Amino acid sequence: MKRWAGPLAALLATAAAAHALTLHFAPAVIMDRAMAALAARGIALHAFTTPQRVTPQAQSVVRSSPDLYYALCRYDLGDPAARLAVRMGVWPDYQSLAFFDARTDNFATLRGTGRQIAVRLLPPGSAPEAGAIVSPSAQGVILIRRLAPTAERFAAAAEAGKADACKLE
Amino acid sequence: MKRAGAYLAAVVLGLALGLGSALWLAGLWPARSNMAFGDIDVGGWRSDFAIGSKAADPYVRARVARHGLLALAKTEAVYFTRAADDTGAPLREGCSYRLSGGQMPAGWWSVTLYNAASMLPANTDGALSIDAERAGGGAWSAVIAPERPAGEGLWISSRGADTFDLTLRLYMPDVALLADPNTALTPPVIKRLSCGEGGA
Repeated sequence: MKRWAGPLAALLATAAAAHALTLHFAPAVIMDRAMAALAARGIALHAFTTPQRVTPQAQSVVRSSPDLYYALCRYDLGDPAARLAVRMGVWPDYQSLAFFDARTDNFATLRGTGRQIAVRLLPPGSAPEAGAIVSPSAQGVILIRRLAPTAERFAAAAEAGKADACKLE
Repeated sequence: MKRAGAYLAAVVLGLALGLGSALWLAGLWPARSNMAFGDIDVGGWRSDFAIGSKAADPYVRARVARHGLLALAKTEAVYFTRAADDTGAPLREGCSYRLSGGQMPAGWWSVTLYNAASMLPANTDGALSIDAERAGGGAWSAVIAPERPAGEGLWISSRGADTFDLTLRLYMPDVALLADPNTALTPPVIKRLSCGEGGA
């Protein structure tokens, strides 16, 4: 019995370590793959990509809602001096500007029903500034949602989206 | 030599067990793929209000990354998912259901049907969700079925879905909902109407 104690301890330690490491890295790996998939589907870096309406034939992210307009912007603030200017145009219904880091955290969301919102996104480690948000990771995704449950409303949301901006200063 | 082999086998087995158990518990294992999880259960609708936040535990984070990527934090939206009917049986394309409810404690809500891969099922019916605007104020009901039912009522198409679940989105949730979901939320009821061949 005693001679199995060492291998048994090794088994338990290895299992615990593999379990914890898998959970720790899974979100970042999945986000990384999602970012690559978004890039492959034409989602631009530092620009909002005009979306197609979500249908079974056009869905790039799991559990997208067919009732919402989604505009995505990928960002990379690897340069510590980078500043990303983000603007969400006016939309009379519900709309929000949401920021997701490389570990899938929704680290900021700004609701902008009936009004425009403009904000700057700064690289990790930046000093806080008025009108700016510091990203916890160099890379991530910005997502505008607009309530647009019909084809007509979606077309109007896309028109409103012409005022959206996501660009390096 | 024999002892080294025992250690090697233990490490390999430990890696497999650790990896497999993490994937399984986080819902990343291919056979376990729905969002009906979480510590909040209101009438069979499950949610975890830590979704999207740093407070989420590693299992929630991994599961959401796989099945609910880019979900909003609770102050903006909360998500409830249900994968079983009123008898506890899994929701599936071969059956029809009546979904009914009333007003929700949020600025806007919707119910959307997703397949086991967390995607909209591949049909062209244009009827994969209902929302607060279409349902109107007060009591509402919709039929979930692979074919459009007779009449003018609300319909959610399950055509091509196989087994599926429903996600209830509650945008701009009331403070009371976040504080005490079991009291504030009267969730939609899913009643099985009939099943086709092989149905129970």
